[in-house]
Amino acid sequence: MPGQLAGLDFVVLAAYLGGTLLLGLYLGRGMHTGKDYFLAGRNLPWWVIGMSLVASDIGGTDIIGVGGAAYSYGMAVGNFEWIGCIPAMLIGAFVFIPFFWRSGVYTIPEFMERRYNAAVRAALAVCWLGFMACNLGIMLFASAKMMNGMLGLEFLPAEYQTLAYILFTAALVGVYTYAGGLAAVVYTDTIQCVVMIGGCLLVVVMGINEFGGLGPLRDAVRENEAQVRQAQIAELEAAAQIDERELQHLKNADPDHIEHTELILPVDTRSPFPWPGILIGLAMVLSPAYWFGNQAIVQRSLGAKSEFQAKASYVSGALLKNLIPIIIAVPGVIAFAKFPELKDADTAFPTLVAHLLPSGLRGLFLAAFLAALMSSVDSYLNSAATIITNDFYMRFYKPNISDEHVLRVGRVATIVLLIWAIGFATAVSFMEGSGIYTIFQTLMAFFQGPALAILLCGVLWRRATGIGAFVGFVTGVAFSVTLFTLNQESVYTALGIDPLFQIADPFLYFSVWAFLFSLTVIIIVSLCTKPEPDAKIDGLVYHRHLRIAQEKD
Amino acid sequence: MTPLHHIGDFFRDALLQIPLPAVRLLFVALQVALLIWVLTLPREATRPPDGSGGWAANLKIWAALAISVQVLVYSVL
Repeated sequence: MPGQLAGLDFVVLAAYLGGTLLLGLYLGRGMHTGKDYFLAGRNLPWWVIGMSLVASDIGGTDIIGVGGAAYSYGMAVGNFEWIGCIPAMLIGAFVFIPFFWRSGVYTIPEFMERRYNAAVRAALAVCWLGFMACNLGIMLFASAKMMNGMLGLEFLPAEYQTLAYILFTAALVGVYTYAGGLAAVVYTDTIQCVVMIGGCLLVVVMGINEFGGLGPLRDAVRENEAQVRQAQIAELEAAAQIDERELQHLKNADPDHIEHTELILPVDTRSPFPWPGILIGLAMVLSPAYWFGNQAIVQRSLGAKSEFQAKASYVSGALLKNLIPIIIAVPGVIAFAKFPELKDADTAFPTLVAHLLPSGLRGLFLAAFLAALMSSVDSYLNSAATIITNDFYMRFYKPNISDEHVLRVGRVATIVLLIWAIGFATAVSFMEGSGIYTIFQTLMAFFQGPALAILLCGVLWRRATGIGAFVGFVTGVAFSVTLFTLNQESVYTALGIDPLFQIADPFLYFSVWAFLFSLTVIIIVSLCTKPEPDAKIDGLVYHRHLRIAQEKD
Repeated sequence: MTPLHHIGDFFRDALLQIPLPAVRLLFVALQVALLIWVLTLPREATRPPDGSGGWAANLKIWAALAISVQVLVYSVL
């Protein structure tokens, strides 16, 4: 963020960071077993989990990335927090979460082994671990990018500044996550949720106020969209090879239409958010895969005090989610109205903050940003450590270890992951390319569709077999990577074919096609293989589970 | 052009025929369907097992509120 912090900013920041650290360390005193460390002793109340769900879902990548995407494409990115979260959270609350909670598992891959086999568990665990480990690095890099030039480290060369910020965040989050496990993660998330929402809301209110209300803001956006369109037309017409399709698209645009305030964009939009991608790719595939199957998300509800509290946590999270696009996407639109010529969309939010907020409040916003970042990093750190301990170490190396040993392994895994994340974040800082948000979404889209396919089949279709699930998952991931590869300019140019998708960053479409592909393979292979024995899947398939529960009642 | 291109173009052309107001209606209708599902959930799925907490502990109310806001948002924006 351009602009230096003043003394008051540092006081606000230090108060927030100190408070978070102390709370995390305090909670760490009660850690004695693996269950304490990974599931907070199954003693978490619903409201804490609900706030933690929202805080963890909104990371530093979102503050920067959603702001940047809203700057480039408008409010359509808000779909990721609205239709891309709330319906799945409510279905999860009443269908999937109670089911997982009752099964008593620590991880989703563990559930997959009970339902299918060890190969499915291992494949899913590898994908989640790889994703979470890479995502940890991306999140740390996002923090460094945001903090560059803020904390008075200008005496260092630029690359060392980035490394210093990466190390600072990693150390801070690492200390309380190492000490307190899931309990520290979830309780500190509640503070982080309040600070994050407060800080971002402040930017929205001050931004709208600067324009004199929503009407003038809309006018400024309309005017800037027209100017940007004219500049793009001029650029296309001056190009050696004229892209007629793109040129006509721009020339035919309705001058009174404001794309930046639209949630539903047409199929032929140039943005990555056409409505089929949002409705089918996001709402029906990526979102359920995330809210039913993302270990970092589901794990905290597994730590709820009761099944009812686990459900209530998801419902309260869904209520709070209604607010999120207002606080993270609207600032991007305000930045577009105010600074339409930014070269890098990811600088939109920081630029707006530097422009709007006086000293003292900048510190509060930086605290909000760090809150968002820390709440996601700690969640992924703890969940990745859970997968390493539970799905690899205990499953394949030392199954019968004491509770104290589990705790030690979990803590060592936390440190190893932190070191990896620091290295990966440093490597990312040297890479150029698309925005942070797109990198994150593309990584997830590779396996979320296949992961959802095996989860849905496993829970809802008793005929699904372990072999079918494994083959469907692996071929589904390979299929989505193939789609991604065929859509790279260097590849389709070399092959002399057109790109497969005509929108920028089509990660939503990868997930849809990979889901459908996996689903088809699972069904075909399952029907060709021997059914799983009833004794094995009793209590693990939804309708059987309900029937058995009713019989017991 | 590969077979994947033909499949993609077929779907793209078909989806292009759907007017945006109809798409908006679809977004809203799906959320209304979810709202109806929430409202018809059995009592035991939405209340604590011991029946404590009064009306505020009825998750159906809060879930319906969350999805109603969504219906409003997608009707307006």
